Amino acid sequence: MDSSKIVEMIIAEIRETVPELADEPITGADSMAELGVDSIERSEVILATMGKLGVKIPMVQLHGPKNIGELADLILDKSAG
Amino acid sequence: MSPSLGIEAMSVFGGMAYLDVRELCDHRGLDMPRFENLLMQEKTVALPYEDPVTFAVNAAKPIVDALSAEERGRIEMVITCTESGIDFGKSMSTYLHKYLDLSSNCRLFEIKQACYSGTAGLQMAVNFIASGTSPGAKALVVTTDISRFALADANAVQEWAYSEPSSGAGAVAMLISDEPHVFRLDPGAYGNHAFEVMDTCRPGPDTEAGDADLSLMAYLDCCAGAYDDYARRVEGADFRQTFSQLCFHTPFGGMVKGAHRHLMRKLYKAPPAEIAADFEARLGPSLAYGKRVGNTAGGSVFVALAGTIDSVDLGEPQRVGLFSYGSGCCSEFFSGVILPEGQERLQAVEISKALDQRYRLSIAEYEALLSGEAVVRFGTKDAELDHQIIPGAWPASGAGDRLVLDGVAGYHRNYSWI
Repeated sequence: MDSSKIVEMIIAEIRETVPELADEPITGADSMAELGVDSIERSEVILATMGKLGVKIPMVQLHGPKNIGELADLILDKSAG
Repeated sequence: MSPSLGIEAMSVFGGMAYLDVRELCDHRGLDMPRFENLLMQEKTVALPYEDPVTFAVNAAKPIVDALSAEERGRIEMVITCTESGIDFGKSMSTYLHKYLDLSSNCRLFEIKQACYSGTAGLQMAVNFIASGTSPGAKALVVTTDISRFALADANAVQEWAYSEPSSGAGAVAMLISDEPHVFRLDPGAYGNHAFEVMDTCRPGPDTEAGDADLSLMAYLDCCAGAYDDYARRVEGADFRQTFSQLCFHTPFGGMVKGAHRHLMRKLYKAPPAEIAADFEARLGPSLAYGKRVGNTAGGSVFVALAGTIDSVDLGEPQRVGLFSYGSGCCSEFFSGVILPEGQERLQAVEISKALDQRYRLSIAEYEALLSGEAVVRFGTKDAELDHQIIPGAWPASGAGDRLVLDGVAGYHRNYSWI
């Protein structure tokens, strides 16, 4: 598993969770908040991504990333540890 | 067999004035395209002559009034549960003791752990009764919280923005005894999840600081962790089957929806349609009062319980699962049984009617209150309250059963019944 694969998974979950963003261009440099994904939806996206990856990381450990790419890096880092 | 313990009587007080949350969001220019998902409608706003003491006394008054003199004399413990304290030393329970005219043979104190305080108080009270050291004793547990977080300076309202729409005010009074007419606690059925996190705090008397994202994440971690601990202790517990109804700490309904979805996915990989139907059926009733008073902090999970008891079809006893969360953080999942006779007793309190009678503040009136010039700040030595600050909010003729703050003299707060 590499970070870019997780970025793709996160983006797919964003499109699933917020139908308004289904056709919007989204990259790893985008922040979910700036895309208009609200805090509840952001947590949904993260939980769903972890579910698909089969990893369990406390949510509070995934707080802080500024964009989707950083979030993917953090998930990768925490799931390796 | 364990003795039957729990809530004998219960009441919610949602204050004298409220604000329409949609109107507030529009006024603040908050871009909330999916506002409906947040499940917020109104929030109680404490008037300057309402403080955590008046909220608490007004919640407890109908419960205490319904007791005989002998029963009232058996209230041997008063626990005020709050994160809105008015003094570092003197507990609000002392004021409650005075204005509720309780026996002098009584333990009085106050406890704090953010929005978890009410559950902490309930469990302390239940354990006191369960200890059997004073057979037949009762304990009065009162949660009381208000939110006045824009007083510090002109920028404070911006800093508060993330939780201003959801921050409400309210108090819940619960009489705990071995005659649990309203809610019979399942003995030994609980689970905790706690860890240190700086998600939301009240670092000063009139300020709240926090990170909404981190708080949501801690809430979700705790919801799963506390339920796991509950399931570990309670043989055969099944989140989907064991509880007819659920009541969660409710900062706003949308957050409860997120936590419920998290659990249903984690435990059962349930599909979205099933999750939505289950939320409507088992958590919908719990939002009845929360969406009208806003986040009541320490009392929020019990405001949810009152909503459930008042609004479900309660032909026979039903088991309810409760999740309590307090930032910082500590949480608990526990359960109990609600009973038809408890519904009759709670409906007699007419919570909904009192909420209907609140005064609807205009945005201009709300903004004037926010500036805080008329508010008694923490540490105030002397003050006199203007009861006509918002003339429409003051009842034309009272029944003498509602407490308001008159003034402060030498730090001592003076109240009167209207």
